[in-house]
Amino acid sequence: MRMTFVVNGRSRTLDAPPLARLLDILRGPLGLTGTKEGCGEGECGSCTVLLDGVPVNACLVVAGQCDGRTVLTVEGLASRDALSDLQEAFVKEGGAQCGICTPGILMAAHALLATNPQPGEGEIRESIAGNICRCTGYQRIVESIRHAAKEQAARESG
Amino acid sequence: MNPAEIALYPFERPGTLAELCRTLSARAGRKERTVLLAGGTDWIVERRLAPPEDPNDLPLVVDVSRLPEMRGITVAREIATIGAAATFLEIKSHPVLSRRAPVLTAMAREVGAVQIQARGTLGGNLASASPAADGAAALMALDADVVLASIHGERRVPLTQFFTGYRATRRAEDEVIVRVEFTLPRTGAHQVWRKVGTRAAQAISKVALAAVAEVARGRGVRSGFGMASVAPVTVSLPSVRALGLAPSLASVSDEELDAATRRDIAPIDDLRSTAAYRAYVASALVKGFFRELRMAAGS
Repeated sequence: MRMTFVVNGRSRTLDAPPLARLLDILRGPLGLTGTKEGCGEGECGSCTVLLDGVPVNACLVVAGQCDGRTVLTVEGLASRDALSDLQEAFVKEGGAQCGICTPGILMAAHALLATNPQPGEGEIRESIAGNICRCTGYQRIVESIRHAAKEQAARESG
Repeated sequence: MNPAEIALYPFERPGTLAELCRTLSARAGRKERTVLLAGGTDWIVERRLAPPEDPNDLPLVVDVSRLPEMRGITVAREIATIGAAATFLEIKSHPVLSRRAPVLTAMAREVGAVQIQARGTLGGNLASASPAADGAAALMALDADVVLASIHGERRVPLTQFFTGYRATRRAEDEVIVRVEFTLPRTGAHQVWRKVGTRAAQAISKVALAAVAEVARGRGVRSGFGMASVAPVTVSLPSVRALGLAPSLASVSDEELDAATRRDIAPIDDLRSTAAYRAYVASALVKGFFRELRMAAGS
């Protein structure tokens, strides 16, 4: 099936089996290997990407359902020469350890901050509840997201 | 089955409900299998666990996730209408539902984390007919009707009569669930969603209770229940419902509630929990809800 979707701001057209997983399309033909496969059954959140701005598990989304839609992956967060505030915060606050869950968590947090720029701790924790991390104990991740929210607010008011 | 094998299934995306109904009718007439795919949160995971199918006899997968007739949430004249392909995230974010049907909002918030909320739908929940389906339990407590469409038009089945057995429903092969409808509980109605599971975000329920009740001058005037994971189907707890309509709620005893709950459920041991634990929790949840009702009834 021929399908077109916008990935990280760029329109991509490709021929792919309609029931191929979005995850495999991203990592294979599109070469976007930042999105990781963890469990492959929607439990761990490692493959989280944004579909029309909303976090989904790319292992449970079929390519045919993405035709005409917009996908944002972790590769789409940074600009050409600078990490996003969120990514910077993860670096500064030690939000990443082994790193396998990090792209998925960045996407879930990015979606949160896009709709709720000043989230409370409970809202932060709820937003990443579908993402499993086995290294950090989550505290550093929560602090990173909070830090990014502050940076963003400071930038906007400054 | 591995992802490459699943990728081989034929796929169609009808543009309208009428087109979908024609496809369903033609295929059902030829005894060909059709899978209606919404969010895929059940079907895709189940395919992964299933053995490979005969590549020459694969069902047609039909995408219903974006059919306009199956989307959207509306409230008019005290009736809430939710498209079968509306997502849990859309349900959770609906302002009128959160005020008037918080049992549904709370369910949608706990059915899974945001990634699952963004994909999962009530239509999928009802069609899959898992006894652990949170959405089915909440809709049952609201006494929802299921509206099915086919080339012959629409028909309506009360959700309390929709499930006919383990993963079996009254939906015919040539029908599609288009929406659910229910009368909004009155402002001030008692509504509770209690999900007992292992992980706040993604766990499938060990037991879940949805309850909706209205009390006027000490008596129950609306009583709806739905319980997940305690029988081969989502159950409406008919004996407990009857107690919820007691002329004097204050006189309903815990012993009566225990006996009614026991009558209404048939829990089993499985990988998530045990029959004994489920029975205990089911009773405790029901009694907890009635404590609230008795207080409201002024006992």
